[in-house]
Amino acid sequence: MSSLTSAVRDLQRELENKTNDLSKLQKDIAKNHQVRKKYTVQLGENELVLKELDLLNEDANVYKLIGPVLVKQDLAEANSNVRKRIEYISAELKRLDATVQDLEEKQNSKKDAILKLQQKIQSIQTTKGKA
Amino acid sequence: MEDTRRGTVTSLASLFPVEEAQKAANRVQGAMAEKRAELDHLLGFVADNNNLINLVHKLPEELSHEIMVPFGKAAFFPGRLIHTNEFLVLLGEGYYAERTSKQTAEILRRRGKALDSQVDSLEAMIKDLQAEANFFGQTIAEAAEGLVEIREDYIEEDTHGEESKSGPLKQHTSDLEKTEANNEEYTRMVARLDELEKEEELAAESGNDNEIYEQTTEDVGDISYQRHIDSEPHNSEDFHKSVSPVDQSNNKSIATESAEKHHNPDIADQLNFASLDLQSNVGEGKNAAAKKVKFVDHTGKPLIHHEEKTVKATTASKSEVQHQPSQPSFDSHKVCLPFIYIARIHIH
Repeated sequence: MSSLTSAVRDLQRELENKTNDLSKLQKDIAKNHQVRKKYTVQLGENELVLKELDLLNEDANVYKLIGPVLVKQDLAEANSNVRKRIEYISAELKRLDATVQDLEEKQNSKKDAILKLQQKIQSIQTTKGKA
Repeated sequence: MEDTRRGTVTSLASLFPVEEAQKAANRVQGAMAEKRAELDHLLGFVADNNNLINLVHKLPEELSHEIMVPFGKAAFFPGRLIHTNEFLVLLGEGYYAERTSKQTAEILRRRGKALDSQVDSLEAMIKDLQAEANFFGQTIAEAAEGLVEIREDYIEEDTHGEESKSGPLKQHTSDLEKTEANNEEYTRMVARLDELEKEEELAAESGNDNEIYEQTTEDVGDISYQRHIDSEPHNSEDFHKSVSPVDQSNNKSIATESAEKHHNPDIADQLNFASLDLQSNVGEGKNAAAKKVKFVDHTGKPLIHHEEKTVKATTASKSEVQHQPSQPSFDSHKVCLPFIYIARIHIH
């Protein structure tokens, strides 16, 4: 009997650990989603900027706001900067997608493990109850 | 006269428990409120954009405007707005472009269009959520009332002869085939069938069944098929007597006639196949009726419909007779009749 109770206690401790891990994973996934959202918004904005820049004449003045300073920029330079930024953001998004998938898989496996543990605990408790 | 019908009764409350439906409805309401707030936000942007376009149009009308310039958090001083045609437009991501008022207006208009498309998509989402909410509301009301869902096997009833026959018949016809042409043919056939039935009754009593059946099988036309079937339920004796030889001849004749008539060997194969199929199934009795009706529904061509039905009727009746010879004629009538009803649907 005492061995059973100690086994139950061990299993319960394991269950606690696993649930902590699961909650951590879930937090990570939530953060990932947030960052993804931010990046998606930025990507959209940059694409709009690119469109407008393309509509500008060659001699139009473009300024960039760096802190409190408005700095005059070359149109070509601005174009290339915006394009590079767009590429960077897309790459980041892809990376985040991969991470999120990874995290989700880990989450699922943790959930399964937790379920199994719970089932074990239940079965032990029922046998204890019978005995 | 009505048999107790087997069926399942499920209360809607068990399918959609009230509390859960309530929770789901609340969730949908919450989502809708969110979307509405976003929509209001976007509409605010649209209004601002329009105001800005007007302003941008108005400013170049004067060389310079007298204004109160804001200074700090809580002060203004009088000043003048100059260079009224030059605008530094924020393109996004910290990039500004110097543009004239017309060009600025263009930029603003394009932004306005993008906003409008966003508003449209939000409105579509809200509509969907609304539909969901309505559905939930309905199910909640129904479950609260205690509505139940009743599923029963479909059983034909042999109660009052012609009228009841014509009733479910007409139902069949409307369910299964085109009704307009059917009704004319149908009335014609009903009249003909009645005549033939009387003929055969007399003939059967005098003991000349086989001859008549064989004669009728040689007749060309849909009516021949139906004659066989209609003659069956008349008397259980006739039924028993005439069934075995008749049905065999029926099957053969139907098979051959169909082969000749329609020049479609497939149909004959199908018929035989169907009949084989049936004989293995028939023992189920009433359920068979429901099944066969369904089977009929699935096949597409009306021609095959008709013939399959007739074959089914005959084989079903035959095996019914063999399996349950002791049953009162009432039951066999009941089982055959559905097929007869189906058989009366005209083929064209």
